[in-house]
Amino acid sequence: MPKNRAAIIGVGETVFRKHHPDKTYVELAQEAAVKALADAGLTMDAIDAVVFSMAPTQFMGVNDADKWAVDSIFAAGKPFLRVHTGGATGGSALHAGYAHVASGMYRAVLVVGADRIAETPDAQHILNLIWDRFYEHDVALNTVTMTALSTHRQMHFHGTTQEQFARVVVRARRNAMKNPHAHLKGIITIDDVMRSPRVAWPYKLFDICPRSSGAAAVVVAHEDIAKEVCSRPAFINGIGAIANTVFMGDRMGPSADTEMSEIPEAAYAGREAYAQAGITDPIRQIQVVELYDPFSSTQFPQLESLNFCKRGEAARLSDEGAFEPGALLTVNPSGGTLCTNPIGVTGLVRVADAALQVMGKAGEAQVPGVRNALATALGGSVQFATCTVLGADSV
Amino acid sequence: MDVHVMGVALHPAALRIGDKRLEEVVFDTAHDALGNAGISRAELDHVTIAACDELDGRSISSMLLAAPAGAYLKDEIKVTDSGMIGLCMEALRLSSGRFDLGIVASWNKSSKGPLEDVMRMRCEPFYTRPIGLNMTIADGLFAQAAGEAFGITDDEVCATVRAGYERAALNPRGLCRAVPAMEEIRASPYVAAPLRKAHQAPVTDGAVAIVLASGRWLKKHPGARPIARLSGIGWRTDAYNLGNRRLTGFESLKGSFGAALSMCGAKGFADLDLIELDSQTGYHEAAFRRALGLPKSFTVSPSGGPFAQNPYFCTGLVNAAEAILQVSGRAGAVQVKGVRRAAAHGCHGFAQQGNAIAIFEGV
Amino acid sequence: MEKTANKSDANVIYGEWNVRYAYSVGKVAGTFFEGLKRKKILAPRCTKSGLSYLPPRAYCERSFEPCDEWAEAGQEGVIEAATIVTAAFENLPPPPYAIAYVRLEGVNTSMINFVQGLDLTDVTAAMARLKPGTPVQVEFVENPEGCITDFHYIVKSVS
Repeated sequence: MPKNRAAIIGVGETVFRKHHPDKTYVELAQEAAVKALADAGLTMDAIDAVVFSMAPTQFMGVNDADKWAVDSIFAAGKPFLRVHTGGATGGSALHAGYAHVASGMYRAVLVVGADRIAETPDAQHILNLIWDRFYEHDVALNTVTMTALSTHRQMHFHGTTQEQFARVVVRARRNAMKNPHAHLKGIITIDDVMRSPRVAWPYKLFDICPRSSGAAAVVVAHEDIAKEVCSRPAFINGIGAIANTVFMGDRMGPSADTEMSEIPEAAYAGREAYAQAGITDPIRQIQVVELYDPFSSTQFPQLESLNFCKRGEAARLSDEGAFEPGALLTVNPSGGTLCTNPIGVTGLVRVADAALQVMGKAGEAQVPGVRNALATALGGSVQFATCTVLGADSV
Repeated sequence: MDVHVMGVALHPAALRIGDKRLEEVVFDTAHDALGNAGISRAELDHVTIAACDELDGRSISSMLLAAPAGAYLKDEIKVTDSGMIGLCMEALRLSSGRFDLGIVASWNKSSKGPLEDVMRMRCEPFYTRPIGLNMTIADGLFAQAAGEAFGITDDEVCATVRAGYERAALNPRGLCRAVPAMEEIRASPYVAAPLRKAHQAPVTDGAVAIVLASGRWLKKHPGARPIARLSGIGWRTDAYNLGNRRLTGFESLKGSFGAALSMCGAKGFADLDLIELDSQTGYHEAAFRRALGLPKSFTVSPSGGPFAQNPYFCTGLVNAAEAILQVSGRAGAVQVKGVRRAAAHGCHGFAQQGNAIAIFEGV
Repeated sequence: MEKTANKSDANVIYGEWNVRYAYSVGKVAGTFFEGLKRKKILAPRCTKSGLSYLPPRAYCERSFEPCDEWAEAGQEGVIEAATIVTAAFENLPPPPYAIAYVRLEGVNTSMINFVQGLDLTDVTAAMARLKPGTPVQVEFVENPEGCITDFHYIVKSVS
């Protein structure tokens, strides 16, 4: 039993789109911070510390951009630090914010971040630079080919088809129509996905997330403050995270500790978060998941690793409509990362969207009766994973 | 604060580590820290790392460097501000009730790439980058502003630098460089006036790792022997903009110092035996002393501080390691007698936008 | 890749960053690259865990001990994962091309490199020839220089 329980009491997101020509990076962060504070009903004076969520700054082109943002998010003079775990950054930042409060040292913490992936035309070049200069850089690895390689195995082991992945995209874009912040949204068909330009087998353009710009923030507060100022806080009941080896070649084959195509990192992180939150039967106890899914193929292995169904079953359940809003399990009612991916803050957007569901503030996307929601984030060579279980009651 | 130091390791200091890849440097240091603590990697329940992609020469450098720091199949978080901020994050995690045994690791191998150009790219593109700030230029502005505000003369700075090298020469963990003559320091050319080249502590390559445990872990392992206790910690970040008294206000330094002191129950410097300061230049040491109100007799940087080694990104965490060695009686040739409580300081950002202080006590 | 707005756009300030680095090779990678010059693929091994690694590592992540032996990897192996890239990415080779993770004989982990010699005009058919488990062979360039592109994989011909 933790001594100091914490809850999310306010959420702020900007609209996500390719460019924000009318704002600078720091102004975007400011917009999200202001929204989160207003939602929490607090001023910056009540905030004891700040955690900044930001991954590679090469997309928006200012090193340590979080330090530039200090002035704009009213953080000057406060304890301030930045977390960076690649794509998992937003999830790790939330965990860091949680630690601030759970430690008993701080009562209210602002977790905030922003990104502008399309500030450079060289985004994929940058994503080639994350690989080992000696062994991987020259061999055309980027995040698309990295995931394509893993998905190739997933399809080989379970017989999953490209059309089954395409159905995930169709559902995501349709869900996103009810999310005022989502980047991509609309009615498309499986055929539209299948006919979109091929990128790296099995991916076509529509199987892949957009390059988004925008910002997000949440206010994490001690349970005592949450109960005082917030009618329906989202209690942070479980946090779990894991780092696997970067070497994908170590995560395949008979000597591997883990099988890459299963996204086993979600299993490790989920197990820990579930144990803390008292989740023993995920499909019954959790009503909404907001998964980190930059590719159409990323949902199924995560859902299986998170014990919502048996290994290899998620594609069939998806085909049967089990993951539609209000069905067996609502998956990514926000549209998820397939519709919105501002890398440095995407993991925080996952948490924010899950929190909105628990707090009853998800608007048109609201699923009725949400007691527990789960948010995930993935980073690196899909080696970093975070899981956060949010609940309407504190555990 | 109920956080305890189980072991510490410093990578051998070098101007340039030319014979190892960065992950080999990190592995060696983390491995040594675990050995020093008598703890196996399997026992850890989390890892905290502190590093900078741009200085590491690789985007998302933690992809490669998390496992060498011990994080294979562990819960790992990376902070990007400085090594000392890694210690701050680690202290929070150990105090949260979710984690009991961890390692914090940080490094700097900026001989690999252009540190000043990396710093220059920390300028926002509209107002400062066209003019061009970097570490040296920001420190030059600081030297002028703080120098004028406190009446710090060129002579005093030169003497401070020489004294730093003298102390550093005795530190077996430093680079053991020859002590420059006063005339040599005085004659050194300006780099960003009034800052002279010889006023700056040269940036070096290095790494540091510390193994820490919660009080709860210690109770469950009565045979374990901590070497120090982390009794106070505080960190603050100032405004990014260097105007508006930012260069002479020392708000984040004083705020961090006050927070750390009050956490460990100390009233002021009189309750501390020494402080290892992250003084990137002689101007910094002279200014920090005054800003913190330290009397001339107060022991500052017995290790030689950055003049012994200055792995820029983690110099603050090196200071923490030196402070731990002092309170545990293991500082060797630079040991100060009777040290019960030692403070360590780390800073980061343009003209030290962020500051952090950790206070250790002997056990 | 789309280009940004023309240079007379008052709403935008342009910047470009081209940072150069000099990465120390270290002894482990150095030994591996020297081996490539002799058309050999050398893999370090940890005697404590018994695992041998490609790409080479100085230490074993699982035992957390230094790798203390070297062994020569076989020049045949099996595909663990593959893809064919058909889109053009800036600063990457012009498509189409195939890459694969291959586990070579005697090594526990797999290593990525290009797959050459395959007809890529029909992508689906080509992918069917790159399934996990497919045997491949290493082929070296005529004059290796000590870098990873000194070799590539070729799918063993079906007789």
